[in-house]
Amino acid sequence: MNEVINKLGQEYVSVDLLEKLVYSHDLAVLPKFVKPLFDTTPVAIVRPKTTEHIAEIMRLANEYRIPVIPRGGATWGFGGTIPVKGGIILDLTGLNRIVHFDEKNGLLTVECGAVWEDIMHFLRETRWKLPTYPSSALSSTVGGWAATGGIGYGSLKYGPFLKNVVKATVVLPSGRIVVVDDKSNPNLSQLFGSEGILCIFADLTLKLIPKSDVEVPFMANFSNFANALMSAQEVLRLTSPHSLVLKAFGFVRTKDYVESDTYFFGCVDGNRYEVYKQYLTLDNIVNRYRGYLVPEDEARREWEERFYTLKIKKWGPSILGNEFIIPTHKILDMVKYCWQLGNQAHLDVEVEVMFISRYKALMFQLFLCDERKSLRYLMSAAITKKVLDAAIKAGGKPYGYGLWNFQFMERAEPEKKRELKRIKRMLDPWNVLNPGKMIEVRLRLGFPLPGKLYSMFMDGMWFLRRVM
Amino acid sequence: MFILPKLHLENVFACAQCGYCVKKCPTYYFLGWESASPRGKIFALKEFLGNGGKLDEQKLRKLGKPLSTRIFNCTLCGLCKEVCHTEIDVLEIWLKIREILYEHRLVPQGVIKLSEIIQQSKNIYMMDNVSRTDWVTYTSADVNFKDSAEVVYFVGCITSFSGRVQSIAQAFSSILNSMNEDWTLLKDEWCCGHPLVLSGGIKEARTFALHNVEMIESIGAKKVVTGCPGCYIALKHEYPKLLGKKPGFEVLHSTQLLNSYITSGKLAVPKADVKLTYHDPCELGRISGIIQEPRMVLQSITDTFIEPKYFGRESICCGSGGLLKLVNPYLADNLAQRRYEILTSTNADIIVSACPACVQTFTQTATTMQDGKRVIDISQLIAEQLSLI
Repeated sequence: MNEVINKLGQEYVSVDLLEKLVYSHDLAVLPKFVKPLFDTTPVAIVRPKTTEHIAEIMRLANEYRIPVIPRGGATWGFGGTIPVKGGIILDLTGLNRIVHFDEKNGLLTVECGAVWEDIMHFLRETRWKLPTYPSSALSSTVGGWAATGGIGYGSLKYGPFLKNVVKATVVLPSGRIVVVDDKSNPNLSQLFGSEGILCIFADLTLKLIPKSDVEVPFMANFSNFANALMSAQEVLRLTSPHSLVLKAFGFVRTKDYVESDTYFFGCVDGNRYEVYKQYLTLDNIVNRYRGYLVPEDEARREWEERFYTLKIKKWGPSILGNEFIIPTHKILDMVKYCWQLGNQAHLDVEVEVMFISRYKALMFQLFLCDERKSLRYLMSAAITKKVLDAAIKAGGKPYGYGLWNFQFMERAEPEKKRELKRIKRMLDPWNVLNPGKMIEVRLRLGFPLPGKLYSMFMDGMWFLRRVM
Repeated sequence: MFILPKLHLENVFACAQCGYCVKKCPTYYFLGWESASPRGKIFALKEFLGNGGKLDEQKLRKLGKPLSTRIFNCTLCGLCKEVCHTEIDVLEIWLKIREILYEHRLVPQGVIKLSEIIQQSKNIYMMDNVSRTDWVTYTSADVNFKDSAEVVYFVGCITSFSGRVQSIAQAFSSILNSMNEDWTLLKDEWCCGHPLVLSGGIKEARTFALHNVEMIESIGAKKVVTGCPGCYIALKHEYPKLLGKKPGFEVLHSTQLLNSYITSGKLAVPKADVKLTYHDPCELGRISGIIQEPRMVLQSITDTFIEPKYFGRESICCGSGGLLKLVNPYLADNLAQRRYEILTSTNADIIVSACPACVQTFTQTATTMQDGKRVIDISQLIAEQLSLI
C-alpha cells in the first residue's frame, strides 16, 4: 500500500478498520452464514481524483496481483462491489465533475462518479434533458449505471442508457486509458453492463434530448392486477409514454387482506397537443379496464416519489429482492408465482414492473423479511432463486449477475458468458479487476463455487424454509 | 386501500443503504469517505448490534474510538432524516449512539471537558454564572428581574456570554418592552442542557432541566421565549422527555412571537430599502419546523427578500451544530465557509438568521473572508428598524 500512497498521496488512501468495514457491502445484506465464505474486507480504499489515478492503481494491481473493485454509489443489490478476496476498493464518487457541455449539439461529458440528480440540476437551466435515468438517480452514479445495465425511467421511449451514450473514456485492467465508442475495439456495447469486470468507466459523453413542452404524470388505480396489466399493455400499444410502471402489493401477514389494489403510473411528454391526445386515449383505456385515473396532483406526487422504490422496507425491516427482464406476456404468470411463493414462505411481497418496450419489461420483486433472524433469513433468501428459475424458464433473464446471480448466467445467456470470458481473458489475464463476479465465483480459499452446488444448496434452503 | 402489517420500525435495520443521505450530508461533502456518511455510520452500527438490539461490547472496545470520531464529526443538522428513503428517525439514532458512547467514556476528550465545564459552571463558557447577565450592563439594555411575570425571556449561554451576539438579547428585550409585555429574565438561568444532550450526557442534562423548569414555574410564567433554537428544542422537546412530564408553560422561539406581533397588527415595522437573505438554522427550520414565521417577519420589512440555494427544510448547516466546532473546528470552518459563500452569492446586503450560533459563526466567517458582509439576527433587524437600539 505504501506504493499506492506514494503515487497518489495519503489523503486518497484509507486503511482504517472502520472504513474497511463500511466499504465491504452494497445495498443487499449478506446473510451471516454466507459471509465467512468470502474475504469481503478490503485491504484498502482508494478515492482517485483523476483518470490517471485509476490507471496508476490498475498498473500497480497488475504488478502485485491485487484485486481492484470499482465502486460507484453502491446502490446495486447483486454484490457487484463486494470484495470476495480482499483487494483495493476504488471509490469513484470523487470523480464527479462535468467535463464538457456542448450546448449546441446536446452532448454532455461527465466523470463516472457524477450522481444523476446533480446532472439533472445542472441541466435545469438549459434547454436539454436526460433521455433516461435510473430509479436510484438520487444517489447512483453515471459510471455505475453504465456498468450495471442502464435501464430506467425514460428507457421505454428513448431506449436504454447504452443508446444514449456517444463515447466513453475507460481504464482497461492493464491500466491503459482508451476512448471507446460503437466502432472501437472493444466497443461500447461489449463493455456496457460488464459489471466492472472488463473496465472502469472514467467519463462518458451523454446524448441529451431537448426539453418537452409539457410533461404530464399519470396514475391509474385498478381493483385487480390482471386488469391493470391489460390496460398497461393497451396503453403501450396506442400511446408512447415516457415511462410506465406497474405496482402491486401482496400482504400476507394481515388477517383481513385478500388482494391488494394495483396501480400504474408514469409520464407522457412531448408537445402540448400530442400529450393532450395521449392523455385522452389513456383515460379511455383505463376506463375500459375498470380503472380510474387519479387527479393530476396525486399523480404528480407519485411521479415525484418515483425514486423512493424501497419505501416498503421499513416494514421488513429487511428485504430480499431480484430484478429480471421478462417478456410482457409472461408478467401475469410471474406475478402470480411471486404471490404463491410469498404465501408459502409467509412473506409480504411487492412487485414493480417497469416497461421497457411493448414486448419486454424489467420486473422487480421484493419480499419482506428480517435479517436479524439469521438462519430464517438465509433460508428465505432461496426465494429469490426460485423467482429467477421461473423467470428464465419463462424466457427472461436476470437484470444483473454480480455475486449472487452468477449461477444463472450459463442458463440465461450462455453466449454472452462465453463472450465475456473471452474478452476478460484478453483484457485481464491476471484477473485483477473485480474478480469472482458475474462469470465465475471463487471462495475465500480460491476454490471455484460451482453453480450447480450453489443451486442445490439454495433448493435445500427453500425446502427447509417451507417445512420449518 | 391495503392495510400495512403492524410491525415495529426497527430503525437501524430498516436502512435501505440506498445512499440518498450520502450526497446531502454536509460532513461527507468535505470528508468524502463512506464512514463519514449517514449510510456508512448506520451500516457500522448494524455491525455493532447483535440480535435483539444489544451492543457487542467486544466490537465496541475495538472500534468504539473510530466510531466515536465519525459520530461526533456530525452537525446533527437532520438533513439525512429529511431525505431518508425509509423514513428512519436518523437524528434519534445519532443521539442514542452518542448517549451510549458517553456512557462508555468513548466520546472525544473535548466533549468530556465540555460536559464537566457545564456541570461545574452551569454554562458552556466556564464563566462564573453570576456574570450571565453582564450583557445587560454592556449593552445598557432595559431589563426586568421580577418574582412573577407572564413571559420569561430565556437568553441562553451563547447570547448571554458571547460579545459578538449579546446585542441580540438587547434587541429582543427592547422589543418586549416596546410591546409592553409583562416579562422577566430568570434570576438564576442555567445552561438549557442541550449541549449535554448532544454530548450524550442525558442524566446530567436532567439536573439542568429540573432547575430551569423550577425557576420558570416559580415565576408563574405562561410563556417562555428564547432566541436560541438549541434552547428552544431543549425547553420544548427535551425537557418533557428528561422530566417525564410536560412543563406547565408554552415555549416559543423569538421569531414566532415577533410574527404573532406583526400578524396581529400589534407591531408595525417600517419597510427598509435593503436586500435580505435568510439562513434557516437547522434546529429551528428543519428540526423544529419553524420556517414560515421568520420569512413572514422578513417579508414585512423588505420587498427584496432573496432565498438562497438550499433553504427551508433543505437548508445546510453553518457548521456550528452537534458540537462540531468543539470536536473538529477545521471541518466546522469549512462548512461555515461553504454556507457563507452560498448566502453571499445571493448578493443580499444583509444575511439574516434566527440563531445566535449561526450569527456568531457567519460573523466570524465574514471577518475571515474580509468581505464586510453584515450578518445579524432577526430581532436585531427589527429593533434597528424600530430605532429601539
